[in-house]
Order: sequence, then structure tokens, then C-alpha cells
Amino acid sequence: MGSTLARFYGALMAGSGVALVAAFAAVVAGMLDRWFGLGLRGLDAYAGYAIAAALFLALPGTLQRGEHIRVTLVLQRVPAAARRALEAWCLAAGVALSAALAWFACRLVWVSWQTHDVSPASDATPLWLPQLAMALGCVGLAVAMADAAWSRLHGLDFEQPAGTAAAHVE
Amino acid sequence: MDIGIAALLIVLLIAVLASGFWIGLSLLGVAVVAMQAWTSRPVGDSMVFTIWGSTSSWTLTALPLFLWMGEILFRSRLTADLFNGLAPWLNRVPGRLLHANVIGCGIFAAVSGSSAATCATIGKITLPELKQRGYPDDIAMGSLAGAGTFGLLIPPSIIMIVYAVATDVSIARLFVAGVVPGLLLMGIFSAYLVIWALRHPGQVPAADAEMDLAGKLRALRHLGPVVALIALVIGAIYSGLATATESAALGVAGSLLLSRLEGSLSWATFKDGLGAACRVYCMIGLILAGAAFLTLAMGFIGLPREVAAFIGSLRLGPFALLMLLMVFFIVLGCFLDGISMVVLTMAVLLPTVQAAGIDLVWFGVFVVLVVEMAQITPPVGFNLFVLQGLTGRELPYLARCALPFFGLLVLAVLMIYLFPQTVLWLPGLM
Repeated sequence: MGSTLARFYGALMAGSGVALVAAFAAVVAGMLDRWFGLGLRGLDAYAGYAIAAALFLALPGTLQRGEHIRVTLVLQRVPAAARRALEAWCLAAGVALSAALAWFACRLVWVSWQTHDVSPASDATPLWLPQLAMALGCVGLAVAMADAAWSRLHGLDFEQPAGTAAAHVE
Repeated sequence: MDIGIAALLIVLLIAVLASGFWIGLSLLGVAVVAMQAWTSRPVGDSMVFTIWGSTSSWTLTALPLFLWMGEILFRSRLTADLFNGLAPWLNRVPGRLLHANVIGCGIFAAVSGSSAATCATIGKITLPELKQRGYPDDIAMGSLAGAGTFGLLIPPSIIMIVYAVATDVSIARLFVAGVVPGLLLMGIFSAYLVIWALRHPGQVPAADAEMDLAGKLRALRHLGPVVALIALVIGAIYSGLATATESAALGVAGSLLLSRLEGSLSWATFKDGLGAACRVYCMIGLILAGAAFLTLAMGFIGLPREVAAFIGSLRLGPFALLMLLMVFFIVLGCFLDGISMVVLTMAVLLPTVQAAGIDLVWFGVFVVLVVEMAQITPPVGFNLFVLQGLTGRELPYLARCALPFFGLLVLAVLMIYLFPQTVLWLPGLM
């Protein structure tokens, strides 16, 4: 089961990468359009949808790599028993919050579909389509959180830290 | 609403953050609790609606693209070239190759938006070289920690994009405003190294064999590609040919082309860089999403108004207000990273800052300088973490090495306060 889930996170991660490339392509196309008047429409909005997809689809993979930042100052300094308790709280609250997020993200897609909600910008995209990526990513995060809690209960490793150092953000 | 609720929420947020809960989710969770307890709005629906709105915007597109550009360059041989191009020119300057940290970081910062990336990439090249040539560790590491923070100030800068999105200031103007203070800071750091070298002549190793001018000029050729990339990104913004987001796309295209030409771009490194960019963006994006919803929740229950009113009631002049904020940010920076700090506080502080008559572009540069200080103060200082990873030294030792540069950053803040034109002159020309 572990490898099936890992493949699921990996597939979403790949989707995230494709979305980032798509955002890049949309921005470049928008620039070419402005310079040469190609008459393309709604590219700004597409770039926005693409980066939203890139963000949400990467949620489970980022969690698994342990790259969502958290304050570890206290965790590192308390006795082992207190640390286990704190980690249990984090995982429990993480499961609850990510499940709620997934539920309401799916509901947003459903509501947009039901009400035929359409983007107000010139692209006029039916909004449930791009929102689908957000819902999928949030469901992925909820699954990954549950996976992490399950792994902890059974003494397995959930996190798979990156082998090579990534250039960090700050 | 009364102050009691505000205090309760702040204590709750600090407790949740301190418990080790993921920062983005902490903001989201506290906002859910606040909305549930003190408003009658549908919490879940407003949560996802706010998150969707804040994460699918055109302005924000610049952020993942600049992150991606940094990851591509991080995996290229660009930094090694920088060092080779600079080294022959520094022989005659007191402090010699120590300046490679300052200049190398300054140049790399102009193509990368992040201080940790700057610190890590330049450090990987300069630290072993400096050690091998016998430069003392403390000044080599301290100057690297300090100079790495240029990544925040010299455009493009991730944290400036975050600030601009949070405060509705033009990203392009903010980028341009960072140029002169960035050069000023490089000057201050180099001047300090010169003074240090003159006071400790015994500790600076002997110069390399002097190259002839032709050799020096040949070495300069190594700098060509980087300089071209900088000119492309900053020139496109400044000339108005491209917006900040579009210049980020140009930067991605340029850095892909550069690493292709020098042969470091393969399918593996491409995938690696793209994945790393997605994950880093995901981490920041989750915090931004959480902060957007927390801002909404706080707005509903009226917290920003209360805090602004409280600070307003202190009747501080601009200088006292800025000093208070500087201390506040440095303390906050002991626990939070720069981006979380900016998104958490801007909504609350902005009305006060505006009421004090402080220009928002200037304030952005001020905030970036203060966040730079937070990068090199323990216990949470990203540049110190990077250096720890690079050198294996203990955090307190590294913090001591970086301390003089902390002082120099305070000096820079005073200088932009006394001479606001250093910040405002260049964007004024746009």
C-alpha cells in the first residue's frame, strides 16, 4: 500500500511540474501576444490557474519530503515523551484540518459546477475546471496526512527527505 | 471586539506555531477557530473561496517562476564561473578574495530571488577556496552569511514579491527601489572587509601571482553570461518592456538557455530543478493561503483596526515607530522565517504605517533590510542553517561570525532613513 500511495503523491507532483511549465508557457505567450498582437485571450487567467494547480498538486509530495516548514525550536528541546505527544497532536490536527480543507475544496468545485460559475475575466472559463486541481491536491494532502499518522502509529517512516540539498527560499 | 479576544488569538497562534504544527496550516487553523467562535459566517466555504482567490492570481505568478529560475541556476556552473572571473581582479584590494563573497553574492543575488540560495551557491564555491588559501574561517563565514542576504534586497527578490502582493505595491517599482540600497550595502560590507584587513594584516594570505591585463580580461569573459541574464531580467522590468511576472518568465528562459549552452542542463537536472521549485513554491503558497484566510478572519472580527489603533494611540513619530517595528521584526525573526513574518504582519501594520506618512515602497525596502538581519540571528536564521549545512560548524559560532554584519545592516537601515532618496530616487525615474 505504501508504494501505491507514494506513486499517487508522485503522480500529483508530476502534475504540479507540468502546471508550472504551463504557467511559464502562458506568461511567455501573453508577452508574445502583446508584442506581436496575436489576438490570444485570457492568458493572464490561465497562468493564475496553472500556478494554483502547481501549488495544490505539490502539497502531498512536499509534505512527504518534509519541506513544509514548521517551528522545531520547542520540539528539539523537550524530553522525548513530550515530543511524541506534540507530534501526535500535530498529526491529529493535521488530519482533521486537511480533511476539512479537502471536503470544502470538493464542495467548491461542486457549487461552481451547479451554479455554472464562470471566470469574470476575458477567458470566461467555467471555474469548476481549474478548481478541480485544487480539490485534487487538497484530497492528496488529506490522504498524505492520514498516511503520515498511520505510519507513525505503526512505527514506519513517512518522510523521505530529499537526497540533494534544494536551494531554499529565504 | 475587545482586546481580550485579540490577546487570546495571538497566544493561540503562538502556541500552535510553537507546538511544531506546519506554519501554513497553523494560520489556517487559527483563522478557522476565530471565524467559528466570533462570526456567524460559513467558515469552510469562505476558507476555500479565499484560498482559491489568493492562489490563482496573475501577480503571484512571478513568485514560482523566479523560484524556478533560482533552482535552475543553482544546478548550473554559473557560480564557479563567477569566482574565476572575479578572483584575478581582487589581488590588489585589502582583504583580497574575501570580497569574492560580497561581489559574488551581489551578482548572484541579481539573478536569484533568495538569500539562502545565494548563500549556499556562492558559499559552495568560495568557502573551500578561501580555506585552501588560508583565509581565517570566522571572517570568511561571517561575510558569506551577511552577503548572502543580498538575495533579498537586490532584485529579483522573492520576499519583495510577497510584500508587494500583501500590500498592493507595484512589484516592478519595489524591485527597482532595491537596486541602490543593495549597492550601498555591498559598499558597506566591502568597506568593512577593507578595514578588517588593514587591522589584521597578518591574517590575510599573500596574493596570487599577478596576471597580466590580457589574462585578467580573458577571465572577465566568465562573467559574460551572468551579466547578460541580469541585464535581461532587470532591463526588461526597468524599460517597461515586460512586467515583473513576464521578466520572471524571461529569466527562466534565459537560465534554461544558459545552462543548456554550458552543458549542465540534462533531463535529470531539469526535472530535479522543476520539482524543487514546485515544492518550495508549495511551501510558501500554503503559508500565503493560510495568511490570506487569517487576514480575512481578522478583518471580520476587527483585529487589524484594534492593533493599528493601539499603535496609533502611542503617538509615535515615524522614527520611533520604525525603531519599534525593527525591534519587533528582529524578535519575530527569532522564531519565524521572513516570508511568514511579512504575510502575518502586513495587513495589521499597514494602516499604521500609512498613517505615519511612510512611503510604502520605502517601507518595503526597510522591511527587507530588517528581514535580512533576521536571516543571520539565531535561533531561526536561514543563512545560518545553510552555513551549518555547508561547514558543519555549530550555530552559536556562526552567529558570532555574522554579528559584525548584523551591525552593518543596522547601519544601512539608519542610512536609508536619513537619506530616503537612496530608495526612492530610481523608482521615481520610472
